[in-house]
Amino acid sequence: MMAGAEKFVEADNAEAIITRIEHKSRKIESLLKQNKPVEALKTALEGSPPMTRDERCKSANWIVVHRALMAIKDVEGMFSSLDPEYYDILMKYLYRGLSTGDRPTCDQCLRIHEKLTERAGLGCILRSLADTVNTV
Amino acid sequence: MAAVAVHQFAQCITCHAWSPDHSMVAFCPNNNEVHIYKLLEDKWEKVHVLQKHDQIVSGIDWSRRSNRIVTVSHDRNSWVSKLIRKKHDSSVTSVAWHPNNILLATTSTDGKCRVFSTFIKGVDTRESKTGSSSDSKFGEQIVQLDLSFSWAFGVKWSPSGNTLAYVGHNSMIYFVDDVGPSPLAQNVAFRNLPLRDVLFFSEKMVIGVGFDCTPMVFAADESGIWSFIRFLGERKASSSGPKYGSQFSEAFGKLYGQSKHGLSNDTVEPSRIRGAIHENCINCIVPLRKEGFRTKRFSTSGLDGKVVIWDLENYEDLSDYV
Repeated sequence: MMAGAEKFVEADNAEAIITRIEHKSRKIESLLKQNKPVEALKTALEGSPPMTRDERCKSANWIVVHRALMAIKDVEGMFSSLDPEYYDILMKYLYRGLSTGDRPTCDQCLRIHEKLTERAGLGCILRSLADTVNTV
Repeated sequence: MAAVAVHQFAQCITCHAWSPDHSMVAFCPNNNEVHIYKLLEDKWEKVHVLQKHDQIVSGIDWSRRSNRIVTVSHDRNSWVSKLIRKKHDSSVTSVAWHPNNILLATTSTDGKCRVFSTFIKGVDTRESKTGSSSDSKFGEQIVQLDLSFSWAFGVKWSPSGNTLAYVGHNSMIYFVDDVGPSPLAQNVAFRNLPLRDVLFFSEKMVIGVGFDCTPMVFAADESGIWSFIRFLGERKASSSGPKYGSQFSEAFGKLYGQSKHGLSNDTVEPSRIRGAIHENCINCIVPLRKEGFRTKRFSTSGLDGKVVIWDLENYEDLSDYV
């Protein structure tokens, strides 16, 4: 008898997920043009990570999140309008960013990591490391 | 000072449990044995050594009604005068008797919390009120809770047995009501290091212990919603800021490549800064009773080899919950 959080299930096929991510990407570009980087980041983080084991989908979602992350100029300001419900998923993507080794990406991710850890605590880091099921 | 007594029983203690009258204490000294000590003429003497497991004993519970000891181990077995063999997919980390003395809850590094029946025909009496649990055979699994994507630890029942709590290695604590076919779970995330064990002080208050080396208090409000209240001891609940003590300051300083995290806090040991009594992870917390009744005292043991006794009498702000 199982109970509690959803078990890992392939929600849709890869094509449907990629289509959704493409749609998300267009919305993010539009928000960035309107100078709304925090809204763009929220949009990118919503529905993340995609419920799939398909690496192409995960990479496609990462590209979209990365775009939004790199567009943030005022990190402190971002946190004053980012809801705490996004903290855990944001932390996971920061670690993906740090793992790329790309200098500008790592610089930006470290900047945000510092502020996020201040806000969300070490527990947030633990949750991003301990969850080996919902990986980004 | 919040601690009433400190005993150094071993170099390192995995878990401990008190006998119903507190004249004896059983603990695992970080190996596959359980040592039982008895207080004889003001001195604690070793009276028994149990060798029922092949690997480290990670949980002990001493039943109040029947004086039975149950032990669980990384060898994936639970031992209650009889073996509940290999019902878990990984190490069993913790165990707790339900107040009805028939149900047993366990947590495991496979992330799950399981509830078993230990009904032994001829030994236990069927209570008509307990319903389905009293129809079960010894070792039968009643419920499996799969709330954590990470190792699970520290399961305990509330005094009435209506609520169950356990923790995950992902800095989460889970509160479950209506443990049965349709359980109601609350998943509470917190900002600190993970917990290893919990204790119900009342239906509405739980104390958790773990890697922050200082007990954490959680409570439920009038609508039954659980949240973190405060730390016990000298350390105050910090709501913001990277005030984690010297061992993290230096590490974060290197990560962010800045000098501002510097060495200002590094001259004193972390435990002194935080006023923590335990010097390492606390991995076990149990209640202390007087003549069978709960008191405001409890004991903790940890990787520093200490057993510390605490008294909640000193905390007036918590008197509403106790």
